[in-house]
Amino acid sequence: MGDLLREPLTAGNALLFLLAAAGLLLIVLGFVTYAIYFERRVIGWMQLRVGPNRVGPLGLLQTVADIFKLLIKEDTIPRKADRALFVLAPVLAYVPAFAVLAVIPYTSGLYFADLNVGLLYYVALSSMTTLAIVLGGWASNNKYALLGGMRSAAQMISYEVPLVMSVVGVVMLSGSMNLRSIVAAQGDWFWQWHFLPQLIGFAIFVVASVSELNRTPFDLPEAESELVAGYHVEYSGFRFAFFMLTEYVYVYAIAALTTVLFLGGWHPPAPFLDIVPGLIWFVLKFALVVFVLFWLRATFPRLRVDQLMGFGWKVLLPLALLNIFVTAAYMELWIK
Amino acid sequence: MKGMLQGLGVTLKALTSKKVTTSYPDEPLQMPDRFRGIQYFIPDLCIVCNQCVRVCPTDCITLTGKPNPDPEKKGKVIETYDIQFETCILCDLCTEVCPTEAIVMTNQFELAAYSRDELFKDMHWLSANDKQVRADNNPIGAPGKGGGK
Amino acid sequence: MIRTEELLLNVGPQHPSTHGVFRIIVKLDGEVITEATPVMGYLHRGTEKLAENLTYTQIIPYTDRMDYVAAMTNNYVLCYAVESMMGLEVPERAEYLRLVVMELQRIASHLVWWGTYLLDIGAMSPFLYAFRDREKIIDLFNELCGARLTYNYMRVGGVKWDAPEGWLDKVRDLIPYMEEKLKEYDRLVSGNEIFLARIRGVGAYDAQTAIGYGLSGANLRCTGVDWDLRKNAPYSLYDRFEFEVPTGERGDCHDRYRIRLEEIRQSLHILRQAMAQFPEPGPTMGKVPRVIRPPAGEIYAAIESPRGELGCHIVSRGKAEPYRLKFRRPSFVNLQILPKLLVGETMTNLITILGGIDIVVGEVDC
Repeated sequence: MGDLLREPLTAGNALLFLLAAAGLLLIVLGFVTYAIYFERRVIGWMQLRVGPNRVGPLGLLQTVADIFKLLIKEDTIPRKADRALFVLAPVLAYVPAFAVLAVIPYTSGLYFADLNVGLLYYVALSSMTTLAIVLGGWASNNKYALLGGMRSAAQMISYEVPLVMSVVGVVMLSGSMNLRSIVAAQGDWFWQWHFLPQLIGFAIFVVASVSELNRTPFDLPEAESELVAGYHVEYSGFRFAFFMLTEYVYVYAIAALTTVLFLGGWHPPAPFLDIVPGLIWFVLKFALVVFVLFWLRATFPRLRVDQLMGFGWKVLLPLALLNIFVTAAYMELWIK
Repeated sequence: MKGMLQGLGVTLKALTSKKVTTSYPDEPLQMPDRFRGIQYFIPDLCIVCNQCVRVCPTDCITLTGKPNPDPEKKGKVIETYDIQFETCILCDLCTEVCPTEAIVMTNQFELAAYSRDELFKDMHWLSANDKQVRADNNPIGAPGKGGGK
Repeated sequence: MIRTEELLLNVGPQHPSTHGVFRIIVKLDGEVITEATPVMGYLHRGTEKLAENLTYTQIIPYTDRMDYVAAMTNNYVLCYAVESMMGLEVPERAEYLRLVVMELQRIASHLVWWGTYLLDIGAMSPFLYAFRDREKIIDLFNELCGARLTYNYMRVGGVKWDAPEGWLDKVRDLIPYMEEKLKEYDRLVSGNEIFLARIRGVGAYDAQTAIGYGLSGANLRCTGVDWDLRKNAPYSLYDRFEFEVPTGERGDCHDRYRIRLEEIRQSLHILRQAMAQFPEPGPTMGKVPRVIRPPAGEIYAAIESPRGELGCHIVSRGKAEPYRLKFRRPSFVNLQILPKLLVGETMTNLITILGGIDIVVGEVDC
């Protein structure tokens, strides 16, 4: 992939890039389909149920059927809604979600963009989705949606700060914001990966990223027991599907980012295990992160808005700053 | 932190534990014998005493009788017997007061229908509903020998 | 020009957390509630009026439908009132059966509360765990009286059915099982820091306020008032059993949560004693006249339902039907304090507080 990226842009190359992007889109859609299936299965098992098992063998086609149902559903737009913004919001939510995937490297050779500010690109683009959620909540002209949108804005802004701060330590240790270099900077043994030296940073990153994903225990914007469905309460059919898709694409993105930043990317946990291809290791770590997200959802209750904000600003942010300071001190005293 | 980790442990353990759900429409549910399902009506036993109509709290039973066609015998025989399952609450009182056990409960409980008209069950339907009839009807409220007052 | 506006929000009647068809109109300043008006009556069926044209036996199935989560106690309060009025003797075995089913019902009802409350707070799994165990109790009831929710089990002067063979042993087996499961519940959420942060100090009131609003059940006991009709005005056979009445200190949602879980333990304790001294087979129906006609007069009988003081006031004119029948429904009375508690709270706490009161809309609207 790397050589191709360095070549001058010709019509043939452009077509290749387009095909690669389409391929990634298909993979992501496949992931979303089966992540939802997997989530429902895992949560079902944890709740002593069996989960979806009716459509297709083992219920494997359940999500396909659900998506099909959403696609053929009537597309309703409330009369009092702001039509243009209402239509724009799901698109605006999805585009950055897909665009951030460009910078994620899967193995040393398989990546889509070799960006020197990859991490910054990720963080900057992913905040745009907040805008879409606020927009969707506001444009629906529904009070529950508005409350959901407001909560979402408050939550995502206040958790973006600790999220970015928590990865500064990683950036300092690896001396780069390029995600490929960050993986390369992590050692061969699993204790050399960033999650141990950067334990505080890792913990903050996990909490803040779950919050960024709007998943339990931070699923306040769409708290179904309070706000019915939050910002997407008025959405139906494929527009609703796009919001759901965005959410699960972010699960993909965050899981991949966690793997890259803290879990050593495609490195095997021990050097002698490198007979297994790096991509497999990547997928395994990725799946573990996704599983933990579902596991949390099956167990935890939801936080309250004020507690959430307090936790973000009073606990996570100071901790993240402390982490940066400690990392800097460590590097100054030992590494130099 | 400790409480959260304990909770995570419980759910992780449940991941592999035995599931408790049943696959109901595929495997029929077995109800215990005392289950109060749709009534089974035996016209030959009915003495048209009207006890069930009077005791019904929702007035969902209607019946008519006619004189016994056999001139030798006294009393009446049943002519129509309808239960309106839109209002029937399966409270068991009709089977409790029936002195001859002409109306008894069964284990059938599937009453879902596309039309309300289907919930109006007449004598023929009720007497054809003879599967899984309850064995013990414990008629504590029934009048003693000699029929109703 | 910036100006702010109060948001008038309709919570319910179709809302996932109003437990049925209950509606609260709230005025919101941001997410803070400045005024709350509960609106009820969406599930009103006129039980009390209907009862005026029904005989006492016919009213029993209607009481099943008031508090449909705890129908056994509803059955009991009517029978208890009529029996007290007529001075009827209930056979010992029947009374024991009643007590056992009422305590099982209390456990089942608190399990439903526990599960749905956690669902309101945002945890999904406890609901399924609670229903797994409630299902065992429901199955026991199904075996005993042939219905899973609307039992119509008790009759004036006794009970409809004696326990079937092996039923008592199943109840005996249930006790250690439930005790084990209660520990699991505690591990699952009771210590969860997020959950504790959500319910500690939320919706607190003092004993004076609680008494002033006529609260009963866990809503009263959470303020530290030791008041349980099973102890303070014993009915049935409760004076023969040892049990404790758990009380709280702070009067908040956490105390109510703790008390309800503790009440399950106490109910198991009562059940254990009841199973140990369960009488030999005998009659389960007392000597009851053919037509039940309580003498002219009035009576108010109250029992401790899982939700609080459940009362039944009968005015009889000596006929087979009551002249007037009034149920004091604890859900309805406990709900009075809601508008007061909600002012100044956030939308999220609305759900926490409403869930903590433990209402059953069938009982609120009756």
